[in-house]
Amino acid sequence: MKLELGNFYVKDIVFGSETKYENGVLTVNKEECLDFVKKDPHITEADLRIVKPGDMVRLVPVKEAVECRVKLDGSPLFPGYTGEVTPCGNGTTYCLKNMSLLAVGRHWGGFQDGLIDMGGEGAKYTYYSQLKNLVLVADTDEDFEKREQQKKNRAIREAVHKLAEHIGSCLKGLEPEEVETFDLEAIIKRNPETEKLPSVVYVMQPQSQMEEGGYNDLCYGWDCNHMVPTLMHPNEILDGAMISGSFMPCSSKWSTYDFMNAPIIRALYKQHGKTINFLGVIMSNLNVALEQKDRSALFVAQIAKSLGADAAIVNEEGYGNPDADFTGCYVSLENAGVKVVGVTNECTGRDGKSDPLVSMDEKEDAIVSCGNVSELIDLPAMPEVIGELEALARDGLSGGWAGDEILGPSVRADGSIIMENNAMFCGDQAIGWSTKTMQEF
Amino acid sequence: MVKEFERAGFPVVLMCNLLPVAQTVGVNRMVPTISIPYPLGDPSTTKEEQHALRKSRVGTALDSLATDIKKQTIFKVEI
Amino acid sequence: MKNVVCYINQFFAGVGGEDKADFEPEVKKTPAGPTGLINQQLKAADAQVVATVVCGDNFMSTHRDEAIERILKALDEVGEFDLFIAGPAFQAGRYGVACGEIGKAVAAKYHVPVITSMHPENPGVEMFKKEMYVMKGSHSAGSMKDDVTAMTKLAAKILKGEDILGPDAEGYFQRGIRHQVWLNPPVCAADRAIEMLLKKVNGEPYTSELNIPKKDLVPIADALKDLSHAKIAMATTGGIVPVDNPDKIQSASATRWGKYDVTGMDRLEGGVFKTIHAGFDPAAANADPNVIMPIDVMREFEKEGKIGSLHKYFYSTVGTGTTQGEAKRMAKEIIPFLEEDHVDGIIMTST
Repeated sequence: MKLELGNFYVKDIVFGSETKYENGVLTVNKEECLDFVKKDPHITEADLRIVKPGDMVRLVPVKEAVECRVKLDGSPLFPGYTGEVTPCGNGTTYCLKNMSLLAVGRHWGGFQDGLIDMGGEGAKYTYYSQLKNLVLVADTDEDFEKREQQKKNRAIREAVHKLAEHIGSCLKGLEPEEVETFDLEAIIKRNPETEKLPSVVYVMQPQSQMEEGGYNDLCYGWDCNHMVPTLMHPNEILDGAMISGSFMPCSSKWSTYDFMNAPIIRALYKQHGKTINFLGVIMSNLNVALEQKDRSALFVAQIAKSLGADAAIVNEEGYGNPDADFTGCYVSLENAGVKVVGVTNECTGRDGKSDPLVSMDEKEDAIVSCGNVSELIDLPAMPEVIGELEALARDGLSGGWAGDEILGPSVRADGSIIMENNAMFCGDQAIGWSTKTMQEF
Repeated sequence: MVKEFERAGFPVVLMCNLLPVAQTVGVNRMVPTISIPYPLGDPSTTKEEQHALRKSRVGTALDSLATDIKKQTIFKVEI
Repeated sequence: MKNVVCYINQFFAGVGGEDKADFEPEVKKTPAGPTGLINQQLKAADAQVVATVVCGDNFMSTHRDEAIERILKALDEVGEFDLFIAGPAFQAGRYGVACGEIGKAVAAKYHVPVITSMHPENPGVEMFKKEMYVMKGSHSAGSMKDDVTAMTKLAAKILKGEDILGPDAEGYFQRGIRHQVWLNPPVCAADRAIEMLLKKVNGEPYTSELNIPKKDLVPIADALKDLSHAKIAMATTGGIVPVDNPDKIQSASATRWGKYDVTGMDRLEGGVFKTIHAGFDPAAANADPNVIMPIDVMREFEKEGKIGSLHKYFYSTVGTGTTQGEAKRMAKEIIPFLEEDHVDGIIMTST
């Protein structure tokens, strides 16, 4: 499977009369893009904004991030979700780099939504403050979940996935500044030099804990709750096979943008043929009941063993209950003779004194840690808010609260906020970007 | 909480689904339940079946309180 | 100028040895023994020792509560202070425990940082390392200057508001307190994972960023001798409460709990009780709360004589996101009710 990503580096985003990319500047025809978004009758209100690193702007409730792209063979950017089920990972895809398309609720947020500060001291808490962002701010008629803490966010999320492709289409016929090639030979047909190197699988555990449809991560449009672990080509993940869901405290989440750029896949590719033999990705999941967790761990270990993996990186999208899937998978791989490094975040409480994971085993002797979900964060007011600041306190965001006997409400009258890291949009970057670690004090 | 009760001298049994979590925390007596939202009665089964399951598992939990153990123990359930 | 209060035992205060170990607490305004050196070393940090508490080791161990109370009362009159230093205690067991006990009480009352120093084999290390900075100290008083210098070095950093770099860099025992930090220079998790993986697979040494803590087990409580005469209490972290949630228990990260009287009830009825737990779909438990809090079958067991009786209350809180510290406190608040009613055993259900 050979994937070519043609990269166009965005130096600036502006609004104009035509959506086009020229000399590093992305021009967006706002009216036309909003008309496109409003084709979904459930979108009742929509606006587009542009924010850049350093802007003193706070975005909340942020629901999703996507990279704008187009596939040159005409197949849908997100098969099984925005179009028919077609293969990902083979062929050429053009990408607008250094920017993302964000989905922000005009009013209502929920457990799974997060916050981004583009500038000031809050900027360091998210990856997206380093990117230029085109922001869709929208409201919907999904009144059934307006007051629900758990929201599917169906309309707004789908809108940015479609819009990402719509905007990406302006790249057709242009010459990319750079082409990255991701080419991995069939596992049993590799050169002898590569085969001598330690063979590695990457085990991804995307969020899939909700029994009801509409909340979980999707694989080619299929609910990850309804699958057993399977082998995937890393190119598929880099090319739109995986869609982020709408469940889990936000700092632990992986956005669709995160999947499309999966840093651990890129890092493994870089080492392939030099220090390791990268076998591929085992796409697992995260479950609620123990029996389901055990079943997934069993499948992962079996696939790794059947492939002849010497080592594995296990990566979970979540904390708390999913720690049991993470530990279960880690231990079953170690028991099968596969050496594991785990990548996760921790929940040590605001005081840092709680156990880092709710399920642990002494076999977990190599872990990369990406942050503490419950770290308390106090930030000054921002001159501008996109979305609705009150959502952080009012709507049950995982890191916000309406009132606290000691700390008061998350959103204070002067616009300053106090929250847990939990509500930072994909803040722990456990997908692999995190430059945070955990330290003893 | 279970550990605090035990520290105070009460024999205590935890009925839960996520046994690995209970083991990590250091609970001594454990009885498995069937799920997280409905530990003791699957709503897709009949009232009678739910009751039978609940009676059996709570019965096991009670018996565990009267059973001497030497280490962390997961008690086997019948249904 | 910052103010520091010190604690030393009768021996280091020059009162006397074992024969004076019953020496009652006393607060001296002038430095005594090692606190003179502490005072001198803290000058550079613009700080001074304003009081030195002296207490006999035996008095502290045999009259702990009284000793602490008297010392705290005396400290109220010392005025505001910014830091508390106890010891160094070397390998002296009673002295180490005394430093820990008073340090813990001072930290709780005055919310000031506490520093002490002990040899790794001092029993006070295990007892108090989570409560304060316990510096890794020497075996005996021959190394007084080294141990005092280590303490004042950390003290100066704290008083000046500098970043504390963690147990290895600063020389104190791990407290089990973990917070996030940004790596400088930044290295992303993906690169760290691959580096660690290569080392692990090639058998080279590497450092995990999370060392799995040792399991904290409690002694197993004795089994019930006679279940048929036992009084059993029920508790849950599944958030079952009366529908109006009278105790306003939070649906996540709970800090409150409730006790609910089930006298005369054969089962918990839907519509009367519900769950407020935010971590799962509540439909099943709202329709039939007994699937989480099985009062119905407990009543049957009571009638059938399998158990003696069911305790009149069940206890409820929410388990998700609740810190271990809060859970511990809530359990401690519940225990007196169980003791008062002579409960023999407990079933806890969790979701």
